[in-house]
Amino acid sequence: MLSFHANNHLDRRSLMKGLLTTAGGLAVANWGALTHSQTIAQEARRSGKRCIMLYMEGGVSQIDTFDMKPGRPTAGPFLPIQTNVNGIQVCEYLPNIARHADKLAIIRSMRTQSVDHGIGGYHMHTCYPSSQRFPHPEIGAMVAKYCENPDNDLPSFVKIGSESGIYGAGYLGPQFEPFVVSDDGRLPGFANPSVSPEIQDRRGELLNFMEQRFAQQRPGDPFAAHRTSELRTIRLMRARRTFDVSEEWTRARSRYGDSNFGRACFTALKLVEAGVSFVEAAHGGYDGHNDNFPTHKANLQVLDPAWASLLQDLQERGLLRDTLVVWTSEFGRTPAINFQAGRDHFGRAWTIVLAGGGIRGGQHYGASNRDGFEVQENPVNEGDLFATIYRTMGINHRVRHYLGARPIWATPEGSRPIQQLLG
Amino acid sequence: MFVNRIAAISLVVASILSPTSACAQETALREVVDREIKASWTKEKITPPVKASDSVFLRRIYLDLVGIIPTYHETATFLKDTDPKKREKLIDTLLADPRYARQQAQVFDLAMLGRKNRLVEGTVGYRNRGRFREWLGKQFAANEPYDRIAAKILQAEEDGSQLYFAVNRDTDEMVTSVSRFFLATQIQCAKCHDHPFEPWTQKDYYGMAGFFVRTMTVDVPGMPEVTNQKGSKYLVGERTIGEALFAIEEVDPKTKKKKSIPIKPKFLSGEELKEPEPPMGFVEPKLKSNELPPKPAFSRREKFIGWMTAKDNPFFAKAAVNRVWAQFMGRGFVHPVDDFNQKNEPSHPALLKAIESAFVAQKYDLKWLIREFVNSEAYQSADLGAVTDAMPRYYERARIRPLSVEELTASLHLATGLGLESALKAEPSKDMLQYLGEPADGQGRFQGSLSEHLFLHNGDQFRGMCRPNKGNMPEKLMMSTEPWEAKVDRMFLSVLSRPATSEERERFVKYLNVDAKDAKMAAQRMEDAMWVLVSCSEFRFNR
Repeated sequence: MLSFHANNHLDRRSLMKGLLTTAGGLAVANWGALTHSQTIAQEARRSGKRCIMLYMEGGVSQIDTFDMKPGRPTAGPFLPIQTNVNGIQVCEYLPNIARHADKLAIIRSMRTQSVDHGIGGYHMHTCYPSSQRFPHPEIGAMVAKYCENPDNDLPSFVKIGSESGIYGAGYLGPQFEPFVVSDDGRLPGFANPSVSPEIQDRRGELLNFMEQRFAQQRPGDPFAAHRTSELRTIRLMRARRTFDVSEEWTRARSRYGDSNFGRACFTALKLVEAGVSFVEAAHGGYDGHNDNFPTHKANLQVLDPAWASLLQDLQERGLLRDTLVVWTSEFGRTPAINFQAGRDHFGRAWTIVLAGGGIRGGQHYGASNRDGFEVQENPVNEGDLFATIYRTMGINHRVRHYLGARPIWATPEGSRPIQQLLG
Repeated sequence: MFVNRIAAISLVVASILSPTSACAQETALREVVDREIKASWTKEKITPPVKASDSVFLRRIYLDLVGIIPTYHETATFLKDTDPKKREKLIDTLLADPRYARQQAQVFDLAMLGRKNRLVEGTVGYRNRGRFREWLGKQFAANEPYDRIAAKILQAEEDGSQLYFAVNRDTDEMVTSVSRFFLATQIQCAKCHDHPFEPWTQKDYYGMAGFFVRTMTVDVPGMPEVTNQKGSKYLVGERTIGEALFAIEEVDPKTKKKKSIPIKPKFLSGEELKEPEPPMGFVEPKLKSNELPPKPAFSRREKFIGWMTAKDNPFFAKAAVNRVWAQFMGRGFVHPVDDFNQKNEPSHPALLKAIESAFVAQKYDLKWLIREFVNSEAYQSADLGAVTDAMPRYYERARIRPLSVEELTASLHLATGLGLESALKAEPSKDMLQYLGEPADGQGRFQGSLSEHLFLHNGDQFRGMCRPNKGNMPEKLMMSTEPWEAKVDRMFLSVLSRPATSEERERFVKYLNVDAKDAKMAAQRMEDAMWVLVSCSEFRFNR
């Protein structure tokens, strides 16, 4: 039998995980790698919370969704409808979401700085401006670092589709890089085993033999980290079927809507259910400089059933309390309608919606003024939004890391979680 | 005879010039290193490490000095050699090898420009980076003194040297980069506020900025062999006027904005630059977008270079020796290497001081410095022991560092039998750069990633090179009639630079032999076995 190197850090969980099974059912030792001190530290910090971020690529219009201005010159053609919460109205093309308004915290006072796609995408994924030329990690990497379950077979940070941009793990390191799958949940080519399970097992066993001998007198951290990622890779290849939801999708399709985004939301559900800490799904094409209204109408009709079914399913499976769902974008769109019936980029007063994860739903936070050109009360910036999300996830929003000698905080100085939204 | 006389003369010269350098001649620096490191072990009650085995030393010294593992023959020859001075001799051979300059150039390039640093457009790609490396390589091949290399980088006049300013294009980036790399000082915090725990003030920062505010980089069309991706090359020049402006609290009643005042250039050591007034009524000529201004009569940047490389500069030599020490020993006496400050005490202050003085006395001779470091017992410590830190603070075990993608690419070619020439020519693939290029977090701690291992498992590159193919070693082994034991030994010597243990030999022979009759299955097993050797920790790291 495979010998197990005694180790002071050994705990019950690691012992149970002492043997792993590979694709072909072969048991391999974990080389004591899971007792690696960094891993233990992460486990101590993990909160069990998860996050799904629905990212509306291109800049979604607040006035045509959650901050409608009926009767004002900026209103546009869409009409508001009642929701299941008194005083909250949403766009007529979000009828399903309207039935979940009791779960939604609608922040109508976002005031953000970076109003072009590249810089806006960066800013709304890291809460820092890209002009700092600093390797800030994107939000998924931060959540992965502090909420991941090291026992899980799946990556802790998954992006479905890459439309929303890949900003990376920056100073947190490659362990927290996003694992990017295609819109339909297909894995990148190299995640599929290149050899048969039989070969994978037998060469894995030989590698295992080499690593064990090598590790006996060499407890160095880098070696342990190398072995840990090898193990995680084997576990991921074994668990990669989780990403393939096609069988269940045939049943879920009618509720989520037969769209890439619908399927991405369903995949996100399955992934958080399987223990993934952060899933990002992008919905593209909101950049309505021309003909904003047909574009938004079409998009909202895709968004509405997908997002609503996701909230519904999370609730029915008892996952909503621990799963924060963020609906966001790189910026909003101008209240003024331009001569091409479009709306342009706008950061002065726009809307982001949070639900689940312990967020207090059924409320508005902040407000824009009458025509929506300015924030009227309680402005929220990028740092405040991230501080709120991090607080919800059980992450200290001022946690400090270093790039070389330089200290850097998870959110900029002065960022404050919005108390009113925290349950 | 003749050689001896020169040596004698230089000894005399050295002792006239400086009594300390005469001292350094009497006690070789490597002995000072070992005396001080051993003293710290005694003080910290650390059991001294044993000496690294020949094969561990061999692999370490090849990777550190020439950036590639030894060939099968180099390994076999060295391990057989019974000369007690064989390590010292090998060090001299490798320091004289052209690959030494190539490796030093790669290390310096990455330390200066980083892996992912962005140019104004595009990243520092392989093409223009290659030019910079080539230029650096020439300096190391000629063993240019370090102060000269530093001066030439900041002068940015030689073809290929300009990339440093092309990457650090605005004044803030120049100030940050120059003070970190050459002076090991973190002054950039003082741009926006006085440094929280250092004496640096905003005035110091803007004082330093004054030396660089006039410097500018332009892109001009270049010959194809010297250009970046856009067909341009970089030129660096300096204006005659221009001041670093510091915004003060006072508000200008006209513009309603904070007032800015020009700050005179001031060296980090405190003294202000004395400079002549710019010529009366001088007006900077209007420049086209890719045109440099005429060379100024008085260059602030030249004055800075003069100050920086002066023998008595309190930052420069110390920063250099600490950085080179860390390159070979893992951790600088001051760690991180670019952060000397009052709260970051060196681990071995006396030793750092001694090395610094000796380096200045030796006229900033890098090759000499490196030769002394790698000949020390401290450098040649074993890779075994209880400490888990990749870079042990007291050097009680050899440091562990991942191979760079350049080292990995070259070593992989060599290990799989594609020959030294092809190994040295091979550039890291895009995939290698992406998946194995930056395997560390913000503090330089190694982190494996899923992508790295998925790439090892399923990417074409590693597997393709392990598969018996086109005259590579796995194919030769398949065709050879040698006994399997000898084949396995050859594999281990080629990939891991050591013979297999008897246990390993038995295991691998058994593995390779199962399907020996079926050529296709046997080839697959050969591929598997090679893959295991190039995928394991022992290959991934330099220890």
